Amino acid sequence: MRRIVVVGGSIAALTAAESLRAGGFDGQVTVVSEEPHQPYSRVPLSKGVLAGREPAKSALLPAPGEDIEFRTGARAVRLDVRGRTVTLADGTEVPYDGLVVATGARARRLTGGSDLVVRTLDDAEALASRLATARSAIVLGGGFLGMEVATTCRALGLEVTVVDLVPPLLRLLGPWLADLAVAAARDHGIRVRVAPDGVTVVGEHRVRCGESVLEADVIVCAVGDVPNTDWLRDSGLPLDAGGGLVADACCRVAPGVVAAGDVVSREGRRTPHWTNAVEQGRAAAAGLLEGASARPYRPDPYFWTEQCGLDIKISGELPLTGPPDILAGSVNDRSALLRWRHDGGAATAVAVNHRLPVIKLKRLGAGVPAPAPART
Amino acid sequence: MSRILVDFDRCEGHGLCEQTAPEVFRLDDEGELHLTREEVAPEDERAVAAAVRVCPVAALKVRP
Repeated sequence: MRRIVVVGGSIAALTAAESLRAGGFDGQVTVVSEEPHQPYSRVPLSKGVLAGREPAKSALLPAPGEDIEFRTGARAVRLDVRGRTVTLADGTEVPYDGLVVATGARARRLTGGSDLVVRTLDDAEALASRLATARSAIVLGGGFLGMEVATTCRALGLEVTVVDLVPPLLRLLGPWLADLAVAAARDHGIRVRVAPDGVTVVGEHRVRCGESVLEADVIVCAVGDVPNTDWLRDSGLPLDAGGGLVADACCRVAPGVVAAGDVVSREGRRTPHWTNAVEQGRAAAAGLLEGASARPYRPDPYFWTEQCGLDIKISGELPLTGPPDILAGSVNDRSALLRWRHDGGAATAVAVNHRLPVIKLKRLGAGVPAPAPART
Repeated sequence: MSRILVDFDRCEGHGLCEQTAPEVFRLDDEGELHLTREEVAPEDERAVAAAVRVCPVAALKVRP
């Protein structure tokens, strides 16, 4: 294998590229990224960058090593698995011996192209400039992202309503923790509107929920993401019903092809979170270099969110049923260390406004991942 | 030689830096981060940059 091409430009792609070098690969490594920017972290986009507290450049990640070619503005549009060639939007053909697919996901939109979303750095900057002059916002979608965006809007002094078909965070967290978070949201002055009969965006400032119409200066769409696999549609690579690229426990997809990050579907689901993007980037590199002898990657179910004055860290599977054991602190004070025990001995540990090193939280929850293999 | 800067207010003990560059970053049993050295030796530059990159809370920087 002389030439490895990584398609994508975020943390999964960079981790894979650097892990190839750390694993001793001395051939050519080319990263092709659709975005015009140097690689950056999405983590601060819904928080500090959106609030205008942190400049966009604070989200930039250290550039890859000089022996990794990083091409920006290079969108992959087609893959020829048999001919081992990626075709870019400008017609350039990029041949490879090994391929890492790390094209991530994009924001799901409700009205075609014009929705305001928070996915890329450009999205966050565009929305930030709109929020700067707005007095009210409707946030469509009550997941982590929607609640974080609502929190930021509120901190900027806007009137905020979160609209969803189901109670915010319920499907994600389960009723006990969702109730806690929604109570904090209401205390924060965020209105919550549950619209089981459906939500329709009617124009730039109006949303219809059942019989009533809500209005706001800005409507933000935070209704989930869609894996970027359109360019793979004719490739013959396995896609699941949601469009995720199906990979095995070593992130392998097909001979010479591995995948990492938000694009990956493993055991029937995607896990679009930072820690998984890093772990999968490492595993994908190993899967390519070591093949069948690569160590399987063990998912680390770790999630965190900051919203409505709550800093919530979770180690373990979600959603959660029933009430937790309270290991420390007080639920009434919204500062507590909680644990749910599941059938079969597994547990989920949750820290709410409770400062605890994450590695200790993991010991109480899903466990600490095995150490990484020694670097070469 | 460049130096590693840790923002201990931000650091939450995720340990991804230790997984990436165990020669330089160490978490103790309490999950507190320690540097085995603050100056970045040329042979560690790449691993340290990778550790800075994977930090979920951007608590690490390298100052030239």
